[in-house]
Amino acid sequence: MNHIRITTKLGSLNLDVQADFAHEVIVISGENGAGKTTLLRCLAGLEACQGQLQIAGDVWLDSAAGFVKPTEQRNIGFVWSDAVLLPWLDAQANITLGVKDGDAAWFNQVCEALEVSPLLKRKPAMLSTGEAQRVALARALYIKPSLLLLDEPFSAQAPDIRLRLRQALKDLQQTLDIPVLMVSHDAEDAKVLAQQHWRMREGKLMNSVASTKVFATDARR
Amino acid sequence: MLDALIISLQLALTTTLLLLLIALPLAYVLAFVSFKGRTVLEVIVALPLVLPPTVLGYYVLLMIAPDSWLGSAWASVFDSSLAFSFSGMVIASVLYSLPFAVQPMQQAFRAVPKSWLELGKTRGMSIKPMLRHIILPASKGGVLVAAALSFAHTMGEFGVVLMVGGSIPGETKVASIALFELVEMQQQQEAAQLALILLAVSFVMLSVVYSINRKPLVAGS
Repeated sequence: MNHIRITTKLGSLNLDVQADFAHEVIVISGENGAGKTTLLRCLAGLEACQGQLQIAGDVWLDSAAGFVKPTEQRNIGFVWSDAVLLPWLDAQANITLGVKDGDAAWFNQVCEALEVSPLLKRKPAMLSTGEAQRVALARALYIKPSLLLLDEPFSAQAPDIRLRLRQALKDLQQTLDIPVLMVSHDAEDAKVLAQQHWRMREGKLMNSVASTKVFATDARR
Repeated sequence: MLDALIISLQLALTTTLLLLLIALPLAYVLAFVSFKGRTVLEVIVALPLVLPPTVLGYYVLLMIAPDSWLGSAWASVFDSSLAFSFSGMVIASVLYSLPFAVQPMQQAFRAVPKSWLELGKTRGMSIKPMLRHIILPASKGGVLVAAALSFAHTMGEFGVVLMVGGSIPGETKVASIALFELVEMQQQQEAAQLALILLAVSFVMLSVVYSINRKPLVAGS
């Protein structure tokens, strides 16, 4: 089980989130400024916050004890709402960035699943927005993260490939057996992909943990 | 005249290489680390921009004098004097051109998008891999500008190298000092040649700087 109990104040936003979740896909929706991205950034350790974080049996944050695990030790797959690819590296080098002695079979599996294999030798300037987004997703998955944080990862995908990507993401998530938190405005993402659907408003989850569990009873599992 | 030119080039090259090594950690600290005394460090780095070269030369001379800490340590290791030597001039030149190396690098480091640095953290990168894989490749232009300006500025030194080097022919007499002496001795033709060469070197170096500044600083974008 993973536990989140965090608060933070950022500008006019007062984030206050409490939630428990298993190794499942959680889709987060809500209006602009509701704190969705800030929540992801807090989980990644990219934004300071108070409270407790326990992910995959590991303590990431315990403010009472003054403990914060830095981002570089959290083993996180993060996909920004824009792809954030390094322009001087081709797609392959972007995907393997910072990894020594990577798992070649896993690399191929991820690239095939996310349909980036034909793009590997291209620089980001030669990729469409949708292609760059898929490369960014492959990069996040390649490190076999303990937690995958996605900020509108399919926003630039055409409808047909979006269908296939949802399935691919689900398969990869099950292979890795990790929690995935995904910000999305697409109702289909929540319907097809999510075991839990969190709705955020003004920094808070509108549906309580208990109700999400009822809500999340997933017929396809 | 040729002797003096060669010494100038050697001095400029040595100074530039050393400066790149020294300026890198300084620029990194000034760009990314906030600490007490930061302003003082910035002022010290910028001082050679406004200090009369003779003042800087005077203090360097005190620093490397045979009875000084550095001068006596040098003498016991290398069995030679640091004052009025090529090595002494290198020390003075490094200090004199420090802002020309640090400031362009610092600006380039600051211009690295925040999300690229965050990406590095999610890939588990500490300072060294972050510099190698993200900050330096992203700041290539700034590093080149730092090198070109350091080189050109060292070629153009006069007061400092005169104070510290003492204009010993074949050892510490650089081109700018040779020009002064040629004019004093009314050797018009040689003076004209040397002046033209120094002008050309400066012109070429600045052309490099301005053409880099016009291009996007990131390779491949």
